[in-house]
Amino acid sequence: MARDAGLSAIFTCGSALAVFGAIRAFRRELETGTFEMALAHPVSRSGFFLAKTAGLFVAYLVFALTAFGAAVTIVIGATVAGRIAARTGEIATVWGPCLASGVAVAVVPLLVGAALNRFWRFRFVLTSMASALMLAIASAATFSVLIGAGALARLAPAVALLAVYAALLASAASAFSVRFAANAAASLTGLVFAATLPFVGNYYMAEALSYGGSVPWSYVGLATLAAIPAAGAFLLLGCRFVRDIG
Amino acid sequence: MNDSEDIVRLESVEKTFRDFWLRPTVKAVDGLSLSVRKGEVFGLLGPNGSGKSTTIKMILGLLSPSAGDVRLFGLPPRAIEARRKLGYLPELSYLHPFLTAKETLRYYAGLCGLKSGEAKERTAQLLEMVGLADVAGRPVGGFSKGMARRVSLASALIGRPELLVLDEPTSGLDPVSTKEVKTLVKALAANGMTVLTTSHLLADAEDICDRVMILDHGKSVAEGRVSELGTSLEDFFLAKVGDASEFRLAPFLG
Repeated sequence: MARDAGLSAIFTCGSALAVFGAIRAFRRELETGTFEMALAHPVSRSGFFLAKTAGLFVAYLVFALTAFGAAVTIVIGATVAGRIAARTGEIATVWGPCLASGVAVAVVPLLVGAALNRFWRFRFVLTSMASALMLAIASAATFSVLIGAGALARLAPAVALLAVYAALLASAASAFSVRFAANAAASLTGLVFAATLPFVGNYYMAEALSYGGSVPWSYVGLATLAAIPAAGAFLLLGCRFVRDIG
Repeated sequence: MNDSEDIVRLESVEKTFRDFWLRPTVKAVDGLSLSVRKGEVFGLLGPNGSGKSTTIKMILGLLSPSAGDVRLFGLPPRAIEARRKLGYLPELSYLHPFLTAKETLRYYAGLCGLKSGEAKERTAQLLEMVGLADVAGRPVGGFSKGMARRVSLASALIGRPELLVLDEPTSGLDPVSTKEVKTLVKALAANGMTVLTTSHLLADAEDICDRVMILDHGKSVAEGRVSELGTSLEDFFLAKVGDASEFRLAPFLG
């Protein structure tokens, strides 16, 4: 159940963050005029769009890594609770601390990033990403030691698959938000989400993981190969839309 | 002056805005031709809605003309080489509120392709020039309108432009700041910079412009040197564009 919850949390929150992050970033810049200001400078329109989308994906990775760290921490907590229960014969009440640590993994990097940004004017996204990366690695290392590297190896391809899916959705959302208002961009990205959801097979993937199975890396590779032309098509569409501004 | 010295050239330019179904909604610019020569301060004047900002945006490559030809330094306005020589001050200060004044200038220096050392030096120089060196580390979101305008002006100058495009440069400024901006424009022009400015504040235009064009309903209704108008710019403007009689105040005032 913990694995289901962790994976679904990454899947749902990750997809939503990728989509709404992209829409908000583009629409806000277009509506406040800062996008126009940038285009008045000697930059290529397509290059600016692609660089901004790439930047958004980097920012998205911050959240994906923290979500991964949080999920792993919750799984660690559940496993430790199971061991205590098996040894003592009593139901261990460690869910509170487990959830708290999971939330902390998600929140601490952002707080560290915010503090570095506030007091030393460090770039928020860079510092958050560095902190998130460190915490995700620390969580994964703890996970490997406590539960075994095999379990982590089973989880990793599923997370990678979801990152590929989020990249596809972020590309679609970026492209649509250049041309359409936020609601229309979200609706169109929702259609892409609905059309491609069956191919991801989140439910079966989560179930397989719950019963000790794993998502084969070959499947992740195939999904990546399928996602590249689709994301490429959305990015080309975005470049076309950004050329048409005005 | 020959054509090769034209920094900006518009020939029979039209711009029609369309709705989602591509039906024409408004013709903002109608058969406009103009040229801005090297080293002059050219004023594009006209009442609200006369097409000044639309014309500026076509010159900047932010809008595509529906018909006609726009050339910037002899190139299409979207050519990167043309925009490398351009500085733009928009009518409203479009700034990222969470960036400091220094970061804002560094960001635009990056977009202009300035190297890190040069960007740092130029940023310090411009912040000093616009009188914001003391607040360089404060986010611009907390700045007053006048301070934000100064940051925008510094951003427009960061890439050492040959052409400075100013859309209502004194809009929202107090009289002291207005005078400072006008002094700055005159100084830049004296150093050989070409300036294209829009304004509906005729006194400002009269002070700084060498040549003006008056627009009304997207068309040019007059063009010439300020010194050759033979009357005050305000009288000339009202004669060309019309006075306040359209308001029909009498029925309201009884």
